[in-house]
Amino acid sequence: MTAAAAPSRPALPPELIRLLMRVAAVLVIGLALSVLSGAFLSVVNLVNVLRQAALLFFMSSGLTLVVITAGLDLSVGATIGLAACLAGTVIKSTGDPWLGVAAALSVGAAVGLLNGMMVSLLRIPSFIATYGMLWVLQGLTYTFMAGSTVYGFPRGFRQLGNGYLIGIPIPVLLMAALLLVGTLFAQRSVWGQQITMIGANPMAARLSGVPVKRRLILVYTLSGLTAGFAALVFLARLDSAEADIGGALTLPAIAAVLIGGTSLFGGVGTLTGTFVGALLLTLVLNGMNLLHVEGNWQPLVTGLIIIAAVWLDLRGHRIRS
Amino acid sequence: MKRTALIAMALAMTAATAPRALADGETIAVLTKNQTNPFFQAERVGAAKAAADMHAKALQYVPTQPDSIPEQMSQIDDVVTKKPDAIVMVPVDYKAMIAGVQKINAANIPVVNVTDRSAGGDFVAFVGADDYSIAKATGEVLLKAMGGKGDVIIIEGVRGAATAQDRLRGFKDAIAEFPGAKLVDSQPGNYQRLQAMQVMENLLQSNPNVAGVMAANDAMAIGAMDALADANSKALIVGINGTKEAVDAIKAGKMLASGDYNGFVQGCIGTMIAIRYLRHEPVPKKVTQPSVVVEKSNLGPYDVPVDQRSCPTWDQVPQN
Repeated sequence: MTAAAAPSRPALPPELIRLLMRVAAVLVIGLALSVLSGAFLSVVNLVNVLRQAALLFFMSSGLTLVVITAGLDLSVGATIGLAACLAGTVIKSTGDPWLGVAAALSVGAAVGLLNGMMVSLLRIPSFIATYGMLWVLQGLTYTFMAGSTVYGFPRGFRQLGNGYLIGIPIPVLLMAALLLVGTLFAQRSVWGQQITMIGANPMAARLSGVPVKRRLILVYTLSGLTAGFAALVFLARLDSAEADIGGALTLPAIAAVLIGGTSLFGGVGTLTGTFVGALLLTLVLNGMNLLHVEGNWQPLVTGLIIIAAVWLDLRGHRIRS
Repeated sequence: MKRTALIAMALAMTAATAPRALADGETIAVLTKNQTNPFFQAERVGAAKAAADMHAKALQYVPTQPDSIPEQMSQIDDVVTKKPDAIVMVPVDYKAMIAGVQKINAANIPVVNVTDRSAGGDFVAFVGADDYSIAKATGEVLLKAMGGKGDVIIIEGVRGAATAQDRLRGFKDAIAEFPGAKLVDSQPGNYQRLQAMQVMENLLQSNPNVAGVMAANDAMAIGAMDALADANSKALIVGINGTKEAVDAIKAGKMLASGDYNGFVQGCIGTMIAIRYLRHEPVPKKVTQPSVVVEKSNLGPYDVPVDQRSCPTWDQVPQN
């Protein structure tokens, strides 16, 4: 493998500025909330927000890599649905959480592998391939569950979603670990840089010896794998799974990636950005709940805040350049 | 087609000559809203049981995309071409499906409306439970258990859905009956377990002293229950639907009660009416299920998996 023929390294300073702008957006919302609601700045509330954001981050992490290659994975929610239902059923019937963990991770990775092969080998546009996959997975899950709910898991397994270590919720620690490892992989490893190259200029990547097909398969597999992982945390946190849990998750997962500054056109994006995006979306719900925003207004407020946050960020970016 | 017509003719003749005779083998098309909600699964099982009990056959039609209007519309086209003897139908949308009902009416296939009442079209009968009364009865059980006083939080369904509006109204009216109780917040959880859990976590920050939670379905009640347990809150919780999961939680003392909406029995009664109508036996125009709130004291019959339950006999069907 020819070491990533120096893809004139993605200019860091502007990227960093953009990230800081997004962090600033989160801080502004946070500041507003702490002025408006006495409950916001409590440790418990902030810990809640982080734990809620963690679930979204797990789903969005692998997806971020997919979007960096200028692709999209619409099947994350459906993958979580299938993986959670399968793992839940396995744990209930065998009593062994590890078998459930193996089931969720292997289903997730297998789905991702298939997505990757459709995109790279069959050259099906990722939107279509993963949209088709969404339906296939939903059909499988609905048939498998037949309208039932699987619930009531062993205490040990539930620690994955509910437990604490040194006073910090385990999902938050897992998020920190994934953020660190993921960032090192995406920005410091040869493979990570090749993935960015593929998104920035697939032709140049191919000519400079990047095994484009294999890297694409890897990226989709990782997206499926993190979805499988998210399914486990989901299962442990909620202590239950039903066939339709995935549907409501896909769009927020994609939104977290895009709000975090990863470009749909590929070549640009970071996991820290995605973390900030997930945090922003979570803060919006938290804020609306704390401020008693009336139910009918909530979708509208959510939409406006998302648009405003990204617009401010883009504006800041344009003014600078 | 010809065979069905012949059978129908034969049936009509049998019915005409010997109205009491048990006619067999009718096909009943059963249209429900989605494959994801256990409620409709129970309804389908009930319909199939009732059909089998009466020696008829139920054919199920379920949109692959939950509650999809275009999908149910095209399923109606299919059904009308296949001409079953009768149809039992839950419209995916009470207004948008009127056009579909009119197609069925134009094809002269008798149709029974179940669960969600259609805003138009001709039906043999309507079988349903009333969201408002169920929510109100369930809310009252909670408030009585709270001693009629304390802070209450409502977790609503999907804003804009008729069921969510009626349940919200029922909950609020129950609270209004108890001057000592106070509604401190009411926020949507969109019928989703995860969102209900997160909303509950958030609301506990501004209302740590909440004493009772009313959730518009059981999945949300259980999501909220976990959030309350995490925060060591002693608040009592009620939900709606009487699902197996809720019944288990009630048995374990983790949840107070669940309003029973009984999809299984609705499926049974709707199908029984359709078949009785085909056999020229008298049927009521409307069956409203009485609101039953499942609590620890009366959960026995609900502690049985749906596919092991049996349909009520015709005498047990409330005639109103």
